[in-house]
Amino acid sequence: MAGKAVAQETVFALRETIARMEGRDIRMFDASDDRAEEILGTQEKRRRLSLGIDVLDEALDGGLPLDGLTEIRSSAMKDAGAASAFTLAIASLLQKQGNGLSARQAGENELPILWIADRLAVLEAGMPYALGLQDFGMAPETFLHARPRKLEEALWLAEAAVASGAFAMTILEVSGNPKHFGLTESRRLSLRARASGRHLLVLRQAGEEEASSADFRFLVETAPAANRYLADGALLGGSIGHSVFRLTLERSRNPALLSLSLEWNSHDRRLLVSTPAKSDASSRPAAHSGARLSASVDRQGAPEKMGTRLAFHRAS
Amino acid sequence: MCVAHIDNTLRLVACDDEAMRWGLRSGQGLAEARAICPGVIVIDEDQAADRRLLEAVADWCDRYTPLLALEGKNGLFLDITGCTHLMGGEDCLLEDILKRLTQMGFEVRGAISSSPGLSWAVCRHDADRIVSDEDREEILAPLPVAALRLDPKTVAALQKLGLKRVGDLMRTPRAPLARRFGSEVLLRLDQARGDDEEAISPRRPVASLSAERRLAEPIQSEEDILFLTRQIAQCLLSGLEARGVGGRLFELVLFRVDGQVFRLSAGASRPLRDVERITALFSQRLATLQDLEAGFGFEILRLNVLHHQPFENIQSDLAENDRRHLSLSTFVDQVSARFGPDCLQTYQLRESHIPERAECFVPASEALGRQMPKAPRILNRSERPVRLFRVPEPLESFAAEIPDGPPTRFRWRRLTHQVARAEGPERLSPEWWLDDDTAATRDYFRLESTAGYRFWIFRKGLYERDAQQHWFMHGLFA
Repeated sequence: MAGKAVAQETVFALRETIARMEGRDIRMFDASDDRAEEILGTQEKRRRLSLGIDVLDEALDGGLPLDGLTEIRSSAMKDAGAASAFTLAIASLLQKQGNGLSARQAGENELPILWIADRLAVLEAGMPYALGLQDFGMAPETFLHARPRKLEEALWLAEAAVASGAFAMTILEVSGNPKHFGLTESRRLSLRARASGRHLLVLRQAGEEEASSADFRFLVETAPAANRYLADGALLGGSIGHSVFRLTLERSRNPALLSLSLEWNSHDRRLLVSTPAKSDASSRPAAHSGARLSASVDRQGAPEKMGTRLAFHRAS
Repeated sequence: MCVAHIDNTLRLVACDDEAMRWGLRSGQGLAEARAICPGVIVIDEDQAADRRLLEAVADWCDRYTPLLALEGKNGLFLDITGCTHLMGGEDCLLEDILKRLTQMGFEVRGAISSSPGLSWAVCRHDADRIVSDEDREEILAPLPVAALRLDPKTVAALQKLGLKRVGDLMRTPRAPLARRFGSEVLLRLDQARGDDEEAISPRRPVASLSAERRLAEPIQSEEDILFLTRQIAQCLLSGLEARGVGGRLFELVLFRVDGQVFRLSAGASRPLRDVERITALFSQRLATLQDLEAGFGFEILRLNVLHHQPFENIQSDLAENDRRHLSLSTFVDQVSARFGPDCLQTYQLRESHIPERAECFVPASEALGRQMPKAPRILNRSERPVRLFRVPEPLESFAAEIPDGPPTRFRWRRLTHQVARAEGPERLSPEWWLDDDTAATRDYFRLESTAGYRFWIFRKGLYERDAQQHWFMHGLFA
């Protein structure tokens, strides 16, 4: 026992020396590493972005942390529209909230958003459209996009953008599960985001779930849009209302999966919980013939043996 | 010796000393040359390679003066006005150039005079010398008329008339000459005499400011280059400050010992006057550079300011606003130095109702520097997709209501989509003031498939005009 303590002492002494050499604050090293993080965590509460939906905010411990890494993924490229829309919705909320000003006041002072596009995703699903961005309440002038040629460039860009602190949010689009974007890289990015206090969002198009350092991971699927109603409550037939997407919170501190349908109200620029569409009496076939079940709470049908898996296998 | 096709025959264009001794001259036919010397080694002329070599020599000569022009196939003009004192006078300069180039294995001739025409004439038809303004006429007079840069036909015609020397031309009355041979002869004569100003056009834009460092011992490592760049940038500062400007486009020129010259340029999104940031630009640039081979090292480093803009001294406030702008422009500079200016772009809206024309991409480094025009606000516009395809993708095997209805089923990327709901059409006419006749009216529909995917598709053309329907996928909705 004593030997272990001595070894630990040595480690701390070394760490302190390294920290001094690098000119960092050495206070956090007087306790063990885990405890130091704990203390820091309690000292300054992480600022969070509330999504405006009570159920979701509760599951997210009050909202998305402003200095963290979040992952949004779609399981197939055809869901790219929905995943991009949810990403942009968060970006829009963040851009407005980041200033602490009302949307009207903000105007000029908004921090820009950076979208680091992925080559394949651009080919498959196109670029974000400037006029479409306006529907999300974003000024196209404050929306920058980068088109790196390789993944290494994209990672460099993401890291530099987060570190510069110039952007309200950096969106890194990735398609699939590339080999060179694994746990190490995502840990690096998340530390970078933590240090600079800026949010980084990884948008994984057509990707599997994979071990990463993100605080939260959402799976976005598209769903039939809401109906449009006339002033007297009658259904406006043949029209497409607010966009709806099914959101599954796959990774959070809460072990249970949370799954709900959200709709983006482009007029109020906020997310709402979508009420299931009333079956309309039109002659068209129903949007979904089968019952849509929510994701199972326990994930698996039968419990697996303990200790077989520590983290997900790399999907790449 | 080299040959090339001239006037449909193979003629010599260049021969070495050995061939000269055999009595071969450029301009001879190849057959004739073979008859004189059967063992001649013949190489085809490669004009592009010659050009490249001349460019490389010109690059190398950049160390003497920034004003350089290529002349013909094998000549270089150097405007050394105001540069000679750096090399210790005109004779030292000429000697230095000739000696160094000869050491590299070139056969060089050179002359310095007050006009390009005279220098050309002297170095090609006289010795390597410096011609002062006083004895200009005497030196020019005994030279052959070919020294005046006239085309061979004119030269032959002049010689038939017995005007063999430049001096003969100078004594001849001007009016008959002009009547017979055109103004060309007189122009060249005046240019050679220095009566007519002839400007040489430099190969590269002349830098507004430039500073350089010549090294006794060549350097190779990246750190050394950056360290020196910082020092050179420091020298530039006073120049920038005196003019009240900041640099937008910088160029670092590296002269390698063996004569190879590398040029790295890096742009800044705002006028820059900060040594650290200038150095940072080049450190990014060097980091991504693959083809910079230090070889035996670089002997001269030069930093040019190619483009500058007024530098505004801004009183910084305590609010975060300023720092934020600074960090953004630093980031943009970093990225454009590393990956090129087109990597990072921003949107600019244009007043057009054609969807793909309503937006255009502007490099962020340009957009930051100037005030962006305010986006035109279009009210009562119907909803637009989140993502737009740059090129609309054709749809197959659709079943649509005629004449103006939406499709009920279509096939896109090998998947058949059953349409559940549709909104539209939204008819967008072509912009006749820009488009030609081929542009067709588009009817846009917003569709939702039974699986819940929302698309933006359009039909090209009107049903009444052509029954053949072309449908395209143009965007994805949320």
